[in-house]
Amino acid sequence: MVAVMAVASCSNKKPGINYMPDMAYSRAYETNSENDIFPDKQTNRTPVEGTITRDQLLPFRIEKDGGSDTTNFAKARMVQNPLRTLNAADLKEAERLYLIYCGICHGPKLDGNGPLWKDGDGPFPAAPKNLLDPTIVSQGDGQIFYTITYGKNMMGSYASQLNPKQRWMVIDYIREKQGVKKTTTTAAADSSSTVK
Amino acid sequence: MSYQRSIVKRLIFGSAFIFSLSFLVTIANAQDGKAIFNSKCAACHNVFKNSTGPALGGMEERGPWSDRKKLYAWIHNPAAFMANDPYTQGLKDSHNGILMTGFPDLTEGDIDAVVNYVNTTFTAGPGGGAKPAAGETAAPEPKSDDTLLFGVLTLILAVIALTLLQVNSNLKKMTDDKEGIPASEPVPFYRNKLYIALGIIVLFLVGGYYTIQGAIGLGRHQGYEPEQPIFYSHKVHAGINQISCLYCHGGAQEGKSANIPAVNVCMNCHMGINEYTKGPQLFRPDGSEVNGTAEIQKLYSYAGWDPDKKQYTGKGKPIEWERIHNLPDHVYFNHSQHVVVGQQQCQTCHGNITEMDEVQQFADLSMGWCVNCHRNTKVQFTDNKFYSIYEKFHEDIRNKKIDSVTVEMIGGIECQKCHY
Repeated sequence: MVAVMAVASCSNKKPGINYMPDMAYSRAYETNSENDIFPDKQTNRTPVEGTITRDQLLPFRIEKDGGSDTTNFAKARMVQNPLRTLNAADLKEAERLYLIYCGICHGPKLDGNGPLWKDGDGPFPAAPKNLLDPTIVSQGDGQIFYTITYGKNMMGSYASQLNPKQRWMVIDYIREKQGVKKTTTTAAADSSSTVK
Repeated sequence: MSYQRSIVKRLIFGSAFIFSLSFLVTIANAQDGKAIFNSKCAACHNVFKNSTGPALGGMEERGPWSDRKKLYAWIHNPAAFMANDPYTQGLKDSHNGILMTGFPDLTEGDIDAVVNYVNTTFTAGPGGGAKPAAGETAAPEPKSDDTLLFGVLTLILAVIALTLLQVNSNLKKMTDDKEGIPASEPVPFYRNKLYIALGIIVLFLVGGYYTIQGAIGLGRHQGYEPEQPIFYSHKVHAGINQISCLYCHGGAQEGKSANIPAVNVCMNCHMGINEYTKGPQLFRPDGSEVNGTAEIQKLYSYAGWDPDKKQYTGKGKPIEWERIHNLPDHVYFNHSQHVVVGQQQCQTCHGNITEMDEVQQFADLSMGWCVNCHRNTKVQFTDNKFYSIYEKFHEDIRNKKIDSVTVEMIGGIECQKCHY
């Protein structure tokens, strides 16, 4: 009886037995698996610097500001949104992305009151920016792109979660909600600046 | 005398009135202060801890801030104030060289209200307003298992049945003796052919059942709940704080693997959230308490983050999470096919993740389980150009021969769909 109970109590800590695991374990390295070839033992590698994903936009050439410097952030104002005006389906996708990655702090209504802040009752110690605030409305698209890419103050970088095209789509969505009409639409930019 | 008394009365009432009025004004002030604080200051300042800027609690005892005039001047124009004030110059240096933004539109009354709010909040202590209700969630109840009870009951019933059989045969023997029928030599029950046959059949059925169950269970890991290097509670993150699954596991919409998030994704929030104070008390499966703040510290050591200096030390190391859901390599499974095209919720296969602290394997991930779902799940067939080539099905739907198309009908249980 004791033995049975011991087996029952520890069984879910161990995965259990495999009988004749032919072709069960991958001989190729799998995503996130351990790898003895590299010193950091990670199979996932960062692409070589300068790599551009197929079907992605050309890189954002402005580097991150060091310390308290804001020259590059100011310079980002010059960068224009390379996307054409989004159609309804794209805008819906942009909203989906916004709600997953941004809404958690900046709120589904863009008022800076997402579930992680909740008027100061949530776990996050700093108030997320109200995206309908005039200071954000007056920022350039490129400056918002800069902030999403590198982070700002307590906000971290979202470069690993949103690819450049998605970032611009989210910016378009924010602009739509702010009621700002897109002024610069370079129709050719979409096809010419995309890497094939 | 009565005149004097009325004066005293008036004085008492008057002072009470003034006192309560001033109290009300303070409260109103503090509430305004909270609104102003949240909209103007909270992006960079927290009352209790250093954020982008220093913690504001107890600031009047630091630097020049006991002089309210200097505070007004600083908030209205930080750069001008800092030019001849060494304390704020030091502050700038100790906060990565970031200088505070000026707020010339805040009136002196607004600033007083904010200071008032900060002071009242600070004296109330962290979590003073919204303390997590203690005992809100008790320790997880041990799961009651009825198997043992049923086993004991069966055993008792079996013993009673055997005794009754014995009693029956004894009584028969007695009546036989009385009537003078010569009794045949009694056969002990262990040599009784009927008993032996029954025993063998029961043993065969029970043994066979467990053998087959065990054999089927080989290589299946339903309920597997390993201990992870960090006690990461999906309940706190995805349940209470409503973070979307795709926020961290974005790979599920991009490709085969629903990736383990990079530490960078954790740090996006945990650069700010460095303690666990507002959620319910967490427990390990064995009932011991979890110190959430200590678990966040573990994350910092993996990420190589110095929470005091708010900088990366560059000495991080990967977190070795234990993999739970693991299909054998001879099955191809692609998350994006199911999540994006099939519009499946994560919970369909992974269970009620938002209620789990440490994740447990919900489904057995057997082939029968896959096939069942492919038989029952309907494909979103209309308004989908990808499926336009299935002309016959479209025609059948138009002619009302079938009302929907399942995954099975478009080849969802063909062997080489998953095994190739």
